[in-house]
Order: sequence, then C-alpha cells, then structure tokens
Amino acid sequence: MSTQELITQELITQVKIQRYLPEQHNEPYWQTFTVPMDESTSILDALNHIKEEQDPSLSYRWSCRMAICGSCGVMVNGIPKLGCKTFLRDYSGPLKIEPLAHFPIEKDLMVDMDTFLQHLTAVQPYLIPDFINEQPASTEPYKQTPAQLAKYRQFANCINCGLCYSACPQFGLNAEFLGPAALTLAHRYNLDSRDTGKDQRMAQLNSHEGVWGCTFVGFCSEVCPKGVDPAAAVNQGKVEAAKSTLIALFKG
Amino acid sequence: MHNKAGFEKPLNALWWLKHRFFKAYMLREATVIPLLFFIGCMLAGIYSLLQGENQWLAWLGFMQQSWVVGLNILALLASLYHALTFFVLFPRVMPLSLGDYRIPAWAIVAGQWMAVVAVLLFFGWLFL
Repeated sequence: MSTQELITQELITQVKIQRYLPEQHNEPYWQTFTVPMDESTSILDALNHIKEEQDPSLSYRWSCRMAICGSCGVMVNGIPKLGCKTFLRDYSGPLKIEPLAHFPIEKDLMVDMDTFLQHLTAVQPYLIPDFINEQPASTEPYKQTPAQLAKYRQFANCINCGLCYSACPQFGLNAEFLGPAALTLAHRYNLDSRDTGKDQRMAQLNSHEGVWGCTFVGFCSEVCPKGVDPAAAVNQGKVEAAKSTLIALFKG
Repeated sequence: MHNKAGFEKPLNALWWLKHRFFKAYMLREATVIPLLFFIGCMLAGIYSLLQGENQWLAWLGFMQQSWVVGLNILALLASLYHALTFFVLFPRVMPLSLGDYRIPAWAIVAGQWMAVVAVLLFFGWLFL
C-alpha cells in the first residue's frame, strides 16, 4: 500500500483482541473490533480508539507512547511487541492481539508480572559498593572511563517490558527460571567497574534457575525493543559462572 | 510464586511449532541425533579393531552399506549446520578484543571457518 493511498483513503482494519473478564467468564475469548487507521496508527493507538469510542471495558497498560516505559507489551500475531512501537501499516489481514505469553492473565491484556519483578529483585540489580576494603560513604563521585562504560552500556538499555520473558520457552516451561532480563541486568552490574557485588550474585546466576536454565533459543534478543541482546548477556554469564566454579574448585 | 490469581495456560509439548524461529532452534538441537549414530559407528569401529581382523573386516563391510553411508552423510551435514549456528553465536558469547580494538563479529566467524578448512586440509594431507 503506497503512502498516497493511505492519505487519500479512509482506511479501516479489523483487530481481534483476546478478552478475559474474570468476573464474567472462566476463560479468555476473542472479540473483533473495526478501527480506523492511517500510516501512523500504532497498536496502542488502535487500543486507545477502541477504549474511547467502542468499549470502555477493555483493559490494558500503557504510559509513555515512546518505547521507554515498557508497559504496553502485548502479543501481536503471536510475537511479543510493544504496542506503541508496532504499527498497523506493517501488517496485512486481521491482527490478533493477546496479553504477553507465559504470565498469568489478570484481565484482558493485563498480565501479572510479579514473577518477573521477583526475579529482577533476586539478582540484586544495583551497584554494590566494596564495604570491606573501602571506607564507607565516600562523598566523591565514582569515576568511570568511556571504555569502562562501553563494557556494560548495551545491557543497561533494558526497560523491563518483559517481552523477552514472553519470547522465552524456558521461562514458559519453568517460571522459576530467572529469565533473560534479570540475568542480563545481573551481568550488566557484574561488568560495571564501580560494582563489587559479583560474588554475591554468582550463587543465583550459577544455578539451574540461573544462566544454566538457558538453552540459547535466542528469541529474546529478536523481540527486544531496545536492542539489548539478552541472549548474549545470559551466555556471557555462563562463561563467568563456569570461571567462578573453576576458581572455587582450585581454592578448595 | 504467583501472588495474584489469574488465568494461566501452560505451554504444550508442541510450542516449538508456533514460530519459524523456534523450528530453526529445534533443528539446531536435533543435529545431535544423527551425530549419535556416527559416534556409535566410530566406537564400534574402535572396539572391532581390538577384537581382531575378522571383526574389523565385518565392521568395514557394515560401514559400506548404503544406508550407513547415507546416515553418516546426514551426520556430517548436521554437524556442519550446527557449526554454522555455533560460529555465528560465538562472538556474542565471547566478544574478543585486542587491547581497545573490538574484533568485529564477521572476523571471528571467518576465523572459525578458516580453522575448519585448516583441520580438513590437515586430515586430507594425513590420509590421502
């Protein structure tokens, strides 16, 4: 479809949305909506249009509209996407929108992300200062060279949207698996020159629920809207975990 | 683990048929199956070598059957496919640098294929 056609024609498209209203139904069901579209209509725009003009009972999460808050993740034709960063113009035929896979559905397109948040917390994703060797509470800023920044920068772009968890069959099969984003964030802090918490994180990482639960399916990196490449981070984590095991072995 | 109630649908055994990407992943993992056959053949060969000449000749006869040759060609293709996927993943798992210079991924992949060619040439020179 050319841009010219899109401008001159009033276009409409069909959107199939998986609904789940726990007070009224035991199971999710499909509902089809017809929405107007132009070249700039995103999935989120379409959802907003439905809620405002057609069915105010539709529930979904969103906030920033610019792929930074990470709240509008949904499955579009079976693939995890950010609603604000995915456009109707890129699809032909009816569109199927479902809540993010591998999470319990609370209502319509809203899922319960508690497991994900617990996994994030578990890996201590923050700078852990060296309390043992350093005098506590230094007022000096932590300095970092561009080269030191470059080591972890890519992995710091995560917006916690959870798309990688919906792309990960290992998380789908076993929700105890810490999963792509949590393991990536752990790796990001392990790589940070200002951090000394690697040993503390290693017990979590170097376990079956940690990096070894990953089989490098790699779909997490395909769906990541920020180009973080979690699969690379998790598998770099395997190298670190193996090193840590070897070192522990020789130390006895 | 879940604090709130919600609708949950567990993954069924055919989850990997849902997407092209998952099928490619399963194909990569399945390359081990014909390789198991090749390893079985090789171990049988070593064992029959220890058993003496008759056993060795019987093994040679077994190996020359067309279905055995076919399966071993499949094992070779499978391991080359696995190598292809592995070589592409390698620079992501172990990014290499020379000082401050980050070696580009394509150079690492090319280096691995050059190593494959070198090994093939070495064994070619050894046996042919």
